Amino acid sequence: MGKKELKVAFLLALRSLQRGSRSSVILTVLIIGMCFTNMIFLPSLFNGIEQSITKQLVDYEVGNVLVSPESGDQYVNNLGATLGLINGLPGVERATPHYTEGATFTYRKRILGVSVRAIMPDDEKYVSPLYTKMIAGDYLGNGDTGEIIIGKPVAGDPTIREEDEFQPSLGGVRVGDSVTVAYANGYTRNYRVKGIYSTGWSQADSAAYVSWTDMEQVIGEPLDHASDITVKAKPGYSETFIKNELIQYGVADKVQTTSDLLSKSLGTAFQSFAIINLVSLIVSIIITTVVLFIVITIKTLNSRRQIGILKAIGVDKEVIMHNYGFQVIILAILGIILGIVLTMLLAVYMAIHPVVTPAWSATLYLTPTDIAMNSLILFVAAVVAGYVPAYQVSREDIQTAMRA
Amino acid sequence: MIEIQDLTKIYRMGSVEVRALDGVTLDIAKGEFLGVMGASGSGKTTLLHMLGLLDIPTSGRIVIDGTDVGTLTDYEKTMFRLYKLGYVFQDFALVPDLTVMENVSLPAMLRKDRTEDQYREASIGILRKIGLLDRQDHLPRELSGGQQQRVSIARAMVNKPDILFADEPCANLDTENSRLVLDQFRGINEEMHQTIVMVSHEDWHKDYFHRIIRLRDGKVVSDGTNGYSIH
Repeated sequence: MGKKELKVAFLLALRSLQRGSRSSVILTVLIIGMCFTNMIFLPSLFNGIEQSITKQLVDYEVGNVLVSPESGDQYVNNLGATLGLINGLPGVERATPHYTEGATFTYRKRILGVSVRAIMPDDEKYVSPLYTKMIAGDYLGNGDTGEIIIGKPVAGDPTIREEDEFQPSLGGVRVGDSVTVAYANGYTRNYRVKGIYSTGWSQADSAAYVSWTDMEQVIGEPLDHASDITVKAKPGYSETFIKNELIQYGVADKVQTTSDLLSKSLGTAFQSFAIINLVSLIVSIIITTVVLFIVITIKTLNSRRQIGILKAIGVDKEVIMHNYGFQVIILAILGIILGIVLTMLLAVYMAIHPVVTPAWSATLYLTPTDIAMNSLILFVAAVVAGYVPAYQVSREDIQTAMRA
Repeated sequence: MIEIQDLTKIYRMGSVEVRALDGVTLDIAKGEFLGVMGASGSGKTTLLHMLGLLDIPTSGRIVIDGTDVGTLTDYEKTMFRLYKLGYVFQDFALVPDLTVMENVSLPAMLRKDRTEDQYREASIGILRKIGLLDRQDHLPRELSGGQQQRVSIARAMVNKPDILFADEPCANLDTENSRLVLDQFRGINEEMHQTIVMVSHEDWHKDYFHRIIRLRDGKVVSDGTNGYSIH
């Protein structure tokens, strides 16, 4: 099969698509485009959910590596030394402690149970983007006492009646208001609300944050223990590297990466996503393959006499086969381009209007690799589907073809 | 040019055996304009298809220019058709999605010994000769039946074949267009000494042929010249 033969096959294919049935071309391209979108949409959405959950977990709960108490212990003890050790290790951006204490909030006639997290506000900025999520007021400062920041769902909305609320709230707290917080240890204090934040991550939004200094006053002594320590890795350092480093340098507490925690908590859900993705992919490939097979079969059956004539005037069967092959390739490329455009439009739409649930929010998560892989899979499926009938009809003897 | 020896073609339809050609033996000389005539079902088209390598005989031998075509492989037959034979079909058989120029150029494009300039030149030359150069960018459906058949002749002639086969080329044309097409064949035969084998059932066509063979039930029942001398 030389260059000339391929050129003639391409010319025949191009002219057939240009001057043949336009509606058939449009419909086929549309179907391939839709199949591509179907192939990529659901996995991208699931990937978006996974990415969203992972990111929010990293940002507001565990960082890249979480140091938590060994079983049997309530706290990570000897905090100062542990933080000093971790912060001195290569690859660690910052380690910051959290101390969580249960409390009851009272605002006007509303009473609400809320977890209060004590943080070192300045260090926390290296680990969590919480400080960027303030929707009213200000973030905490290191020396703040008697001031608290609360999540939007905790603050509540004054326009919504208590019985209509999705989750209980304080009924419309605003910045500057005073809330009474009764801690589980019996200590009660009035706080001025310094700021209200909204992260989109339900566990963080359902909590309140005070400074480490403030919590020391609540406890009544310097805090040298923490509920956990979150560790942020520098760019280019893997979670596993940091985890191994921490263990190697003698951090005696439980050290887990985000992946460790995710596999325990959401591993089954992510596996289910993967199965659904695979089923969706297979169904889309089958649909595309069958549609193209039918389209090309009909095309070849309708052109049997013409194929016979072409063979009669000296056109080789390989040229005839590649003619239909090129038609499928062109249709598949156009369909894939349409599919990419449709997917991009959906991605833009969902970036503006993400899927929001009370627990997380997600957009389409697409990578160039995903697009390239799906394009390749669809392309191969399309070419196989097109070449099979083309091969069959090109092998038919001239007499049978001409009599068709 | 063409030697046909004891050519037989039997079609089997279930238990029924149809002898479409029954021991045909004849020679066709170079430059001859041969008319194959006979009633419907006499075996004219079958003979043409055998000579044109479009069908395989049940028995017998065809030698074209010294080549026993029965020994050729499928690919060799395709190349033989491309380089040495030309066809004109009853229903014109042009590719509907190609322009007149593209239809005519198609066989020439596939020849390994032709550059793009050469096949373009050849196509333009043959279109000019049949008087349809001004229609080169038209699609077949934009032409009359007679014009389409002339394009079909141009396509058959673009590779300057050794033998031109025509299977009832005037069957779908009125008398006026038939005359135009037959004149075209005569012109090609006289000017280019082109060997032409044409199947026809119209008696008045015989005036154009050098030699006429008549078939009945797959057998040659008469073979005679028509007052012409072969070039």
